[in-house]
Amino acid sequence: MNATLLLQTLVDGLILGGIFSLSAVGFSLIFGVLGVVNLAHGVFILAGAYLGLWLKGALGLDPLAAIPVVFLILAVIGGALQQTLVSAAIRRGSLMTSLLITFGASLILRDLLILAFGPDIQSLSSTWLLRTYHVGGVVIDGARATGLLASLVLLAVLAVALHAMKVGRAIRATAQQSFAAGLCGVDSNWIYMLTFGVSAGFAGASGIIIGMINPFSPFDDAYWTLNAFVTVVLGGIGSPVGALLGGLMLGEISTLSSQYIGPRFPNVFIFCALLLMLIVRPNGLLGNAYKASV
Amino acid sequence: MGKEISRRSALGGMAAAVAAPTVFGSGSAWAQSGSTIKFGGSLGMSGRYAETGLNIRQGYETAIKFINEQKGGVEIGGKKYRVELAIVDDASDPARATSLIQRQVDGDVSFFLGSYGSNIVLPCAGITEAAGKLTVQVGASADQIFQQGYRNIFGFFPRASRAWVTSIEFFKSITPKPKSVSIIATNDAFSKANAQAAAAGCKEIGLQVLDVLELPEQVSDASSALATIRAKTPDILITTTVDQNSLVIVRQMIATDTSVPLLYQFLGPQLPMYRESLGAKATGVIMQLPWDAQIDSKDPIFGSTKAYIEYYNKNNTRALSYHTVGASACITTYVEAMRTAGGLDPAKVRNALAATNMSTAFGPVKFSPDGDGDAIVMGAKIGQVQSGKVQVVYPTDVKTADLIYPTPAWAKKS
Repeated sequence: MNATLLLQTLVDGLILGGIFSLSAVGFSLIFGVLGVVNLAHGVFILAGAYLGLWLKGALGLDPLAAIPVVFLILAVIGGALQQTLVSAAIRRGSLMTSLLITFGASLILRDLLILAFGPDIQSLSSTWLLRTYHVGGVVIDGARATGLLASLVLLAVLAVALHAMKVGRAIRATAQQSFAAGLCGVDSNWIYMLTFGVSAGFAGASGIIIGMINPFSPFDDAYWTLNAFVTVVLGGIGSPVGALLGGLMLGEISTLSSQYIGPRFPNVFIFCALLLMLIVRPNGLLGNAYKASV
Repeated sequence: MGKEISRRSALGGMAAAVAAPTVFGSGSAWAQSGSTIKFGGSLGMSGRYAETGLNIRQGYETAIKFINEQKGGVEIGGKKYRVELAIVDDASDPARATSLIQRQVDGDVSFFLGSYGSNIVLPCAGITEAAGKLTVQVGASADQIFQQGYRNIFGFFPRASRAWVTSIEFFKSITPKPKSVSIIATNDAFSKANAQAAAAGCKEIGLQVLDVLELPEQVSDASSALATIRAKTPDILITTTVDQNSLVIVRQMIATDTSVPLLYQFLGPQLPMYRESLGAKATGVIMQLPWDAQIDSKDPIFGSTKAYIEYYNKNNTRALSYHTVGASACITTYVEAMRTAGGLDPAKVRNALAATNMSTAFGPVKFSPDGDGDAIVMGAKIGQVQSGKVQVVYPTDVKTADLIYPTPAWAKKS
């Protein structure tokens, strides 16, 4: 086995994993806190990319600089979606109803993106992307390495927010025991709305990074939702570290299987890994971060 | 929150919304009347093929609009007809497309325009063929479509296995003589068929095929394939991938400094977005060019390619693509076949289509005995991106610029 090729494959896997982690950040939070599988997650990612594109065209704002703006816009949209549709669906039906609702929302939002921006493939570029590095015989893709760094930064921000801030404690408390959290003065409705909004905001922010790495169109939403789902199942629900580990695992499985089995097989091995994890450790590597306390 | 919507009122509202178009009419339902020719079919106007679907639809609409408004209709067999488009959205889904086409076949449509994507056109062709209806299409070229013994389907491109005739001749002609080639394809019918044809053609002219790398249908990462390319660098790298996948691959090639003397991307560089996305890095990329705006051809309806382009740009804001021109030429070809047949009898129109040998705004149109585009007459030219524009570099008798080969490494392009 060629050592340099193996090292290259592992490095490529880490970098690819960074993108997967990025795409799963918000999804993990909603899944962990609300128990909702947000099938509109992929559309939020794409909405972030399209907003970045629009801000660049309208205001000349570099996509990376547009991240805070996109975060806020999508946070508002996500919060509104949760308050108007998701919570109503759960109240009137069940948690499963939220699957249908978020799926329906994804279709509507996707068509709105098509109406606003058209069906064409788009891409983002930034002058702040890292350049290509050659270390030994290994090539480091600068654009994707930027994605890995960005995912680490976003995940770190989220982890700090969840563990060091009052609102983060409230989110974790509500996820663990919403009734008890309510008794302690936490407004769970507000927390659910905030969580959904923050998650949508993170999805949008990751969409900007993803849009700089890969061209995108409104029809890619299912791909990113599925990736986020697999990442979260592998890494564990609700935890930023779980999203990171799950994404990195996914990236390594993808590149190693592509390189040593065949480039058409990564999806097969990804889903085999998913099945294996569901059988052996259904809560993922790090388990459910918000497993309800007794 | 405020008052919740009751279940009854929600259901009532939804029922009213569904019924409204039926009550108030969603546009007149034109029949295949004595004064209107209806062209039916489906297109992916949503879903993964929506971008090209939109390009094709605009081509159909441009031709229909021109014929009705500028020409006042077409005269066929001494009678004047208006033309009408009855295209429905198949959402880029073969199952939906077949259902929609069956409905139109059972209705009043005799003349079909094809969808985009071999995975959709193939099953739909089976339906229209079984019903004796005609199809002219600019959206598919998989060999399987033209190997079923169908008599009523016609395509504007040579089938995939014959689509590489010009390209192979091009590879033979360039100096310094290339010795090796690698191919990147995706796991779908169109890409695989083209990869096989490219590999076979390259072997025939003595090129060593180093690797044929097959990626998943939707490409988000080509790092493993590109690591292989860097380890065994070919003189020519061919990608037989669709536009979005081609762009993913080339952007990753740039980001990983994976340079080759000649990069040939079957689909992708034709799009203005591709060239804008890459900027100066796009210079040197080679592509198949089914149509080029710089080559003027006569057209029996529009007059010429230049006149077509002028009319299109006056009536549309969307950039012109070869699918658009090809789609308009589908209508032109149909109309001319009807004129030759002297009427709308499908069997006579079919024979006229089979015997077509004419010039259109898209270029010459002639079909092989199996219905696909004649490999020589309708074979694509070879284009190269140079300073953001597409230039024809082969065949040499129609070239608009000299070939840049070998192309500089990515890092040297600015």
